[in-house]
Amino acid sequence: MRALRTAATGMAAQQLNVEVISNNIANMNTVGFKKQRAEFQDLLYQSVERAGAQSSVGGTIVPTGVQVGSGVKAGSVYRITEQGSLTQTGNKLDIAIDGRGFFQVLLPSGETAYTRAGNFSVSPTGQIVTAEGYTVQPAMTVPQGATDVSISADGQVQATIAGQVAPQAIGQIQIASFFNEAGLEAIGDNLLMESAASGPANLGPPAANGFGKLKQGYTESSNVDAVSEVTALIVAQRAYEMNSKVITAADQMLSTASQLKS
Amino acid sequence: MNIPLYVGLSTQQTLQRALEITANNIANADTAGFKVEELLVRTEPTVPPASPDPRPIAYVLDSGVGRDFRQGALEQTGAAFDVAIEGDGFFQVETDAGLRYTRDGRFTVDNKNQLTTKAGDPVLGSNGRPIVLDPTRSSPAIAPDGSVSQGAASIGRIGVYRFPDLAALQKTGDNLLQAPDDAQPIAAGDGVVRQGMVEHSNVQPVLEITNLIEITRAYERVARMMEQTNDLASRAVNTLGQVG
Repeated sequence: MRALRTAATGMAAQQLNVEVISNNIANMNTVGFKKQRAEFQDLLYQSVERAGAQSSVGGTIVPTGVQVGSGVKAGSVYRITEQGSLTQTGNKLDIAIDGRGFFQVLLPSGETAYTRAGNFSVSPTGQIVTAEGYTVQPAMTVPQGATDVSISADGQVQATIAGQVAPQAIGQIQIASFFNEAGLEAIGDNLLMESAASGPANLGPPAANGFGKLKQGYTESSNVDAVSEVTALIVAQRAYEMNSKVITAADQMLSTASQLKS
Repeated sequence: MNIPLYVGLSTQQTLQRALEITANNIANADTAGFKVEELLVRTEPTVPPASPDPRPIAYVLDSGVGRDFRQGALEQTGAAFDVAIEGDGFFQVETDAGLRYTRDGRFTVDNKNQLTTKAGDPVLGSNGRPIVLDPTRSSPAIAPDGSVSQGAASIGRIGVYRFPDLAALQKTGDNLLQAPDDAQPIAAGDGVVRQGMVEHSNVQPVLEITNLIEITRAYERVARMMEQTNDLASRAVNTLGQVG
């Protein structure tokens, strides 16, 4: 009975939906996290009776045909790259991007990863690093004896050193943008990797050519909205229940058929 | 003759198919742009061969699937590439297998910066060509008439088409519909394109669950009718066989 399998695809899809929603809720307070959404598509249709087929010798034709669908599948889990709200932290090395773009991070493997989480700190050698200790690219070193670091909206990093009047330029932050940001591959730790779907990275200074501008002393909160996630959870649970009802109904019909007295 | 059994069987077959279609509706309750379906049945009157009784018998046959193309609820998502049509019409998509139509406007851009469906098939503009965005400009704004602009620059216009005969459209899966070769799409004038919105399926859970109950009960009823017919036959054989 096809209805059993169809309902099973529906339950599997809703299970995935709940998994995605729970990951969103779990990451509600993760800096720079972008919420995800499971998107569904209908499965193949089987034409039992073709539209336009002859239905009699008189030449009448079937106007609509019978097409029976076979359920649902997860088409994609899509990352919604909407801007998260900016939260003021007062920390000198918290940088948020207001607009498009990602910070570049050098992984220990030598590859470059991309992130929106700009809660940076300084390594023992003075380099600006992520919370995991990976170097932010292009590498910048805060000199010893620096009393203050300032980062401008267009990515100029300057350090004020005790005893010097003029601040010293220590680097320029370059950010990356992609044709298809949703195509980036998440590898955990708030990091994303370039993929065939995302297209190549397009580098440039902030606040120009469509790149977002930097805000020092802020972090970007996740763009997860608690209310809409909980609503989605309720909808997913009810949809799961409805699919299980279909399985019960199909089972009942099979049992009716098998209990026919001969 | 076992005519009641065969009539019952024809009913049961259509009920099973109706259940399959209801199951598909429920499984796709959360599929964007999905349109609910219903099995249409007809009676097939036939005259039993060599029957002394001239009354015709009516079998039940499935004659088609009716699709309800009514508007699904629009949900605001705020995503720049989520586009929904309010009113009549479909987006035109170029797949490997040819032109397809869809109401699922959850688009994205591919690595060539074209506007595509989530499956990677380009969405066509009203000029029949893919819409190519400029990555160096700000995020696109889509106007109610489908025109796409980035800042002051006009990029193109998303095509919205409708068909005079919706019943001729066939579903091919992946939220796509195929038009027959002879059907000409007409540019839809009254379909309003809404950016940042997603059209939900128009499946009504209460109706589908009611259908489900109705189908199972009808199936049981027919089964009981068939049993009773069988009973009657066996009793007739036993009783008529007794002498005295």
